[in-house]
Amino acid sequence: MTLEDYRSDMEMCCRCSYCKFIPLERVEGFQHVNVCPSISRYNFHAYAGGGRMGVGVAMLEKRLEYTDKLLEVVHNCQMCGACDISCKYAMDMEVLEPINEIRIKCVEDGHTVPALDSVVNSLRKQGTMVPGAKAKREDWAEGLEVKDFTKQMTKVIYHTGCRTCYDKDMWKVARATINLLQKAGGDVGIAGENESCCGGRAYQMGYREDFLRQAKQNMELFTKSGAEILVTGCADCYHAFKVLYDKFGLKGDLEVLHTTEYLDRLIQEGKLKPTRQVAMTVTYHDPCHLGRLGEPYIHWEGEKVPGQIRVFAPPKEFRRGTYGVYEPPRDILKSIPGLKLVEMSRIKEYAWCCGAGGGVKETNPEFAKWTAKERINEAESTGAEAIVTACPGCEQNFNNAVRENGNSLKVYDVVELLEKAISKGGH
Amino acid sequence: MALEKVIYRALEDVLGPENISDDPVILDSYAWRSGLVATPVKFVPRFEAITLPKDTQQVQAIVKLCNQYKIQFKASSTGWGGYCDPNGPGVIKIDLRRMNRIIEINEKNMYAVVEPYVIFAQLQAELMKRGLNCNITGAGSNCSALPIAAHQGIGHLSQSGSYGERNLLAVEWVAPDGEIIRLGSLGSLSEWFCGDGPGPSLRGVIRGNTVPLGGLGVYTKAAAKVYHWPGPSTFPIKGVSPHYHPSEIPPGFMIRYFSFKSADEMTEALRKVGESEIGFILMGFNTAMVAGNKATNNNEDLELLKQFTKEVQGPGFLLIIAGNSPNDFEYKKRALQQIIDETNGKSLAAVEDPQNAGGYIWRFIRVTGSIRETCRATGCFGGEVGGTDVFGLMRAYIARSSKIKQDYIDKGLLHADGTHPFVQSIEHGHQGHGELLVRYFPNNPESAKAGMELFMAANQIAIEGHFGVPAHVWSDAIHDMYGPYACNYTKWLRKIKKTFDPNTTAEASSHITAKE
Repeated sequence: MTLEDYRSDMEMCCRCSYCKFIPLERVEGFQHVNVCPSISRYNFHAYAGGGRMGVGVAMLEKRLEYTDKLLEVVHNCQMCGACDISCKYAMDMEVLEPINEIRIKCVEDGHTVPALDSVVNSLRKQGTMVPGAKAKREDWAEGLEVKDFTKQMTKVIYHTGCRTCYDKDMWKVARATINLLQKAGGDVGIAGENESCCGGRAYQMGYREDFLRQAKQNMELFTKSGAEILVTGCADCYHAFKVLYDKFGLKGDLEVLHTTEYLDRLIQEGKLKPTRQVAMTVTYHDPCHLGRLGEPYIHWEGEKVPGQIRVFAPPKEFRRGTYGVYEPPRDILKSIPGLKLVEMSRIKEYAWCCGAGGGVKETNPEFAKWTAKERINEAESTGAEAIVTACPGCEQNFNNAVRENGNSLKVYDVVELLEKAISKGGH
Repeated sequence: MALEKVIYRALEDVLGPENISDDPVILDSYAWRSGLVATPVKFVPRFEAITLPKDTQQVQAIVKLCNQYKIQFKASSTGWGGYCDPNGPGVIKIDLRRMNRIIEINEKNMYAVVEPYVIFAQLQAELMKRGLNCNITGAGSNCSALPIAAHQGIGHLSQSGSYGERNLLAVEWVAPDGEIIRLGSLGSLSEWFCGDGPGPSLRGVIRGNTVPLGGLGVYTKAAAKVYHWPGPSTFPIKGVSPHYHPSEIPPGFMIRYFSFKSADEMTEALRKVGESEIGFILMGFNTAMVAGNKATNNNEDLELLKQFTKEVQGPGFLLIIAGNSPNDFEYKKRALQQIIDETNGKSLAAVEDPQNAGGYIWRFIRVTGSIRETCRATGCFGGEVGGTDVFGLMRAYIARSSKIKQDYIDKGLLHADGTHPFVQSIEHGHQGHGELLVRYFPNNPESAKAGMELFMAANQIAIEGHFGVPAHVWSDAIHDMYGPYACNYTKWLRKIKKTFDPNTTAEASSHITAKE
């Protein structure tokens, strides 16, 4: 697909501004009505989903030249997809897809930004989106007795992800995941030093070819292993493996699960029993790529039916965030004795983004922090002691914001709290 | 023409560099056409710059600079309508997005004061916590809650919650010459409770038949009358978008869609509902709009339209009843039953179905279905918007206009959504308002032309049939069509424009210019 392929979607934009707000049925007061960090921070219409549709058409019509401003507008967006969901409450049109294609067009036309080039160069040279990483990819698993699925067959692959492998603060989450999976009797393996980036963030930054190279390389490794299930704790990786790989016909039969889905399944099956009290009031932050963007990809090929209404043959089912992963993380938290879950105003398909996505953390760290602070403030307004999430990208960005602001809010991954609730024997 | 550097710098000094831009990327995002009465032209003229004032003082400073440097300005809030756009070069945009505060909700005196970028969803949600509610423009709760922001402000709640013109109380206005004028009680007491005094009463001047659509300065704050809300502080919505529905229908609420064998019977039922004052919401929706409101995509929309069209007897209306007490609710239900028996109304099963009823109730109260009903089909809608007059007259006008629509549908130039117009009553039937929804693909020149021809034909009907001045009169050309048939009101409008805008600084392509 190209930007041109989404012309008719972009030209459907009627300028209603739904893309700027949470779905209007869910508005419960003056506060927390905004859903898009970009328009909320920069205010000019170009930063909203609708504005980006106009910019996209203007690019196709050659009304705009490549300038620093164009690239600044294009990249000051977390690709969180909130605009897409709010628009599709009412409309039958793609929003996030053309926004992504605008980025791809920029890259393909040779117009990139240095911060993202640096990240992608690291991907090309080292197989990671973390430039200058000091640790080795497999260091996090030191001392764990876990199989290497590239050497011996396992039923389950645990993909750790760049953000966890190269951030010592995040190792505890990966180690806890392995401990829990093993306690439940799972046959799990990792790739250790052979693990490579999923490529998902490269795609959302506009580097489609780099993504495809990573995807093909990874699927070759996974297929060769003979594993049935891939589990990851990173929402970005989850979205890449489950949605993007499928979009490009690369996923095959591999079942992709987020750790929260898999652990929830193990709890339901009685293989994990949270019995220890974790007396804490927490609120849950839905990672964009696990929640609204985590629903399955829907393959469709067809064309518009002639006539005065936009319908297609065969009928096109739009992804509207309805079937994202919302309940498994909440079910896990609810299963923990003593733990109280309180909800923020913006949740599930209309959750406010953590701020780290879409390359924003690399191109505009101030904007990433600003977005995280908004969420931290919202979390604190619930009275929770901790914000719990299910993605290392969110956790890192929240931790940075909390440290910088001096907030008392704690930040956890769901897995960390579940581990606290599981007795040492595992049951 | 590019904005001269000296003007840009002067504006930048007022706003700060973050809040002004003349970059083509920013300008083109505002230049993308609106989905309201769109034409094959994709981009409207660019503004020279976009400004983002944070308060009235900054708005005033911008307007004064425009007067000083002889450039024009146009202000808007959420910016949906095409009337937010300039007609040519030499205009700067005042985007009121940063003016987004609820200034006051006065529970005792039942009014709310807002800045332009508070949307109806926010205001209504805050009001409901206080047992109050507001009329929401039919365009939807995504629109500005300022009662003079756009068009007439007629909406779903107008049966019990009136409309923009009537709900408008005190106003803070930056006139086109830069003077800040405080109307009504605000002008003498710094209070918002009244639009007509004590203090200067200029409501007619600033508003007219429809609002000036950006052509007469900037309204920076305004108060609106609000109404009693008999429902819960928040509606118990569950589900994931777009499949929201209440977990239960709150006590005292009931929704029905009634169809009738003839327009006369429908009008009689509507009159009786008004007379008995039992209606909370009464919208003269046709089946296309009832289908569009519920459907979550165009395919489902077509299926429901087919189903509903088979089930209805003829024209109809959608009614929500809200009881203030169990006894009041019982009375209203009984009164309604009697009216429907007398007028041979038939309830549409899909709306009455408890599985659907709660969703319909909430979508109509929050007014979230408007985009589904209008723009989803083609990305664009237009058509006839009748005036505000006696219900029967408005019904007759829009019914006559609707007959032309069928010809274009038969030619395949318009979406075939039926030709029943939608007619609603206001203030329990004291007034009426009709609209004829027309949906077409603007990129298809023939289709867009059909929409425009229908519009012009309906104007001729309004004039020849003495149906008064409709509410879609935007621009000199259309005003001048009607002026000679309506007491030459255009002369007065132009005098107002000339008096308050001596330098023609407020861009008035969607209002009226001061030409002789």
